[in-house]
Amino acid sequence: MSAKRFTMMFLSVFLTFAPILYKDAWCDERDDIKKQMQELKLQMESMQKKLGELEEKNRILEEETKKQKEEKEIEKTITEAAPPPKQEGSLQRIIQSLNPDISVIGIFAAAYFSEDDPIIHAEIDPENTGINLQEIEVGFQAVIDPYFRADTFFVLRRDEFEIEEAYFTSLLGLPLNLQIRGGLRRAKFGRINLQHREVQDFVTLALPAAAFLGEHLNPIGAEFNFLLPLPWFSELSASLNSPDGLETPTFARDEDANNLARLLYIAHLSNFFELSDALSLSLGGSFATGSNGTERGNRSNLYGVDLFAKYRPLKNNPYQEVWLQSEFMYRQAETEEGDLDDWGAYGQFIYRFAKRWNTGIRFDYVDTNDPISPLEGEAVLSSIAKSEGEGEEETELGLFGKELRYAAMLTFNPSEFSRIRLQYEFDDPDFSDSFHAVFLQFEYSIGAHGAHPF
Amino acid sequence: MKTQKFFQPLALYFCLALLAMAFSLFVSGEVALAKVRVITSLPNFAAITKEIGGDKVDVESLAKGYQDPHFVDGKPSYVLKLNRADLLIYNGLELEIGWLPPLITGSRNSKITSTNSPGNLNASTLISNILEVPTARVDRSMGDIHPGGNPHYWLDPRNGIAIANGIAERLKEIDPKNASYYDERLGDFVGRLNAKMKEWDEKLAPYKGTQIVTYHKGWVYFSNWAGFEEVGYVEPKPGIPPSPSYVADLIRKIQGINVKLVIAESFYPQKTPALIAEKAGASFLTLPASVGGRDGINTYFDLFDVIVGDITSKLASTKEAIRSSNLAGG
Repeated sequence: MSAKRFTMMFLSVFLTFAPILYKDAWCDERDDIKKQMQELKLQMESMQKKLGELEEKNRILEEETKKQKEEKEIEKTITEAAPPPKQEGSLQRIIQSLNPDISVIGIFAAAYFSEDDPIIHAEIDPENTGINLQEIEVGFQAVIDPYFRADTFFVLRRDEFEIEEAYFTSLLGLPLNLQIRGGLRRAKFGRINLQHREVQDFVTLALPAAAFLGEHLNPIGAEFNFLLPLPWFSELSASLNSPDGLETPTFARDEDANNLARLLYIAHLSNFFELSDALSLSLGGSFATGSNGTERGNRSNLYGVDLFAKYRPLKNNPYQEVWLQSEFMYRQAETEEGDLDDWGAYGQFIYRFAKRWNTGIRFDYVDTNDPISPLEGEAVLSSIAKSEGEGEEETELGLFGKELRYAAMLTFNPSEFSRIRLQYEFDDPDFSDSFHAVFLQFEYSIGAHGAHPF
Repeated sequence: MKTQKFFQPLALYFCLALLAMAFSLFVSGEVALAKVRVITSLPNFAAITKEIGGDKVDVESLAKGYQDPHFVDGKPSYVLKLNRADLLIYNGLELEIGWLPPLITGSRNSKITSTNSPGNLNASTLISNILEVPTARVDRSMGDIHPGGNPHYWLDPRNGIAIANGIAERLKEIDPKNASYYDERLGDFVGRLNAKMKEWDEKLAPYKGTQIVTYHKGWVYFSNWAGFEEVGYVEPKPGIPPSPSYVADLIRKIQGINVKLVIAESFYPQKTPALIAEKAGASFLTLPASVGGRDGINTYFDLFDVIVGDITSKLASTKEAIRSSNLAGG
């Protein structure tokens, strides 16, 4: 009985609590499933994440390969564009010789003078009615080494040889933006003195240049050119020169040669203003002082002002331009007879109206406070340039009074290397009759001639 | 006494010179600048340098784009620019022979005076296929001939890539700390140019083989790229203006063949080529040959956009005109 009761009790208790237990058990199971589900979810999420990451990685990889491909393409185009090793042909070997650039310029002029014995002012001006050889200029130009270049120009005439220039120029960067030119060279005095004959705009040399500088002022010396630290181009030049052998009426070697004060000192300040693309203006001042060879201790001082203006409208008429060049020179000279005060000026205006054509006018004038008498003057005049150089003869510095000259010219350049120029001149010296002159000049240039400065 | 009087101005002058020197010493102390200063002879190189150098360079061109590059005035103000340059880029092949050498000599700048220094870049050395290199000895009876070959190579955009590459190399050499910057910009430029070239090629494709006449032999590289055939030149010889009889001969010669286009750069005389075009039944087109050659052309891309655009629209309109006249005639 008791066993039965026990069983009954157990059963009732079990039945009473079973739902709880069952519930517990069931609940546990549900929780488990939930948990598992959550885990699964988490796993899924992590998988998704991983997948995303993988996808991202793949994308990056693809992008990288694409980029590399593009880069390779670019590199390919770049390398394709790079020059292949050049073949050494015989032509190139000709170009590669280390000879200097050699050039020859010839200037001839047919002339007609209305007077039998016209005044010849400069050495290279045409002398007689007929056909004149003005000059043959031979140039040798090359870079010497990384530090210097050399320019050499000889002037030849039928029976004359002259070294017009032979100088070196420093190429290296020196302090204070210094550039040194040394040797025999056209000195930086004004503008026309730096222009070789083939660059000048007229057949004859302007009167003040002829009267005070001779054909050209080209002493032997050392020249120091400083680029001034200014917003515009401004160059200050100072040179120490030996006047020996100069063919200029203003300066000559002094007998008292062992004296630094008797040397020739030249200074020049040049300024350039680019006012617009089309308009440029250059302004300069010069000073030279040195012995003049008339007597021991006698000196000459020469002052100069130069102006150059150019208008070239590049946009509308690229081959039309006008330029104006003018210089004023004033000279003080000590001579045995007394001090001379001479001055002169010229102005020229050129109009280039087509690519190969230009025309222009010039006036030039010289004056003195103490003219040499007309007759004497005329006699001395033709020999003056030649006698100057010999030095031993007594030099004559004075002018012959006033002289005014007008010139008009028309130039045709068939190419950059040839030129035909027609010029008319009216010369009016106050000590003798005025006269007319007509020139027809032919000029050519062969070989590699260095470019001319602005 | 005499010497004293004459030496007064001399003394004054030397004082002035000393003053100027002292002044220049004072000023030149603070020249060091972070940017690479680049001067180019022609504006095309300046445009490409801008693309590569970005804001790490200061770049300026001496010649203007509307100017004939053969005849530039070598103004002394350019000496000042070259004096301060870290890098000079020029065309070479004797294009600038008439004006650049004295400026370089006057520059007093050892960075650019030696032909093989990093600061002196002759861009023609970067070009692999220079055209019209003489195979026989040249002389000046041939006109203004360039012994090294035709110098107008920038008018082929493929050469633009070579130029850009060379410029980047130099910039990296001069300014190594920004090397990656230049590389990046070079890649970007070349990528853009390649894309643009595809576009231009597509535009020009229908006109391959078009026969043209140009004023100067300045378009041979362009024609080579665009697939044009140059059948005559208004200049009888490079640099020599035409005579009336030559013009008559040229008209007669090209009347027989189907010349579509006569091209002249804006700085050449326009009357003669226009007349030749009219007589030969072709169209006359004035084209800019350089960046800056016309208002609005500020980049290397602009230049070809304008050239290709002008040529294709002109050719398209003539085609249209011929078709309509044929229709009217038929």
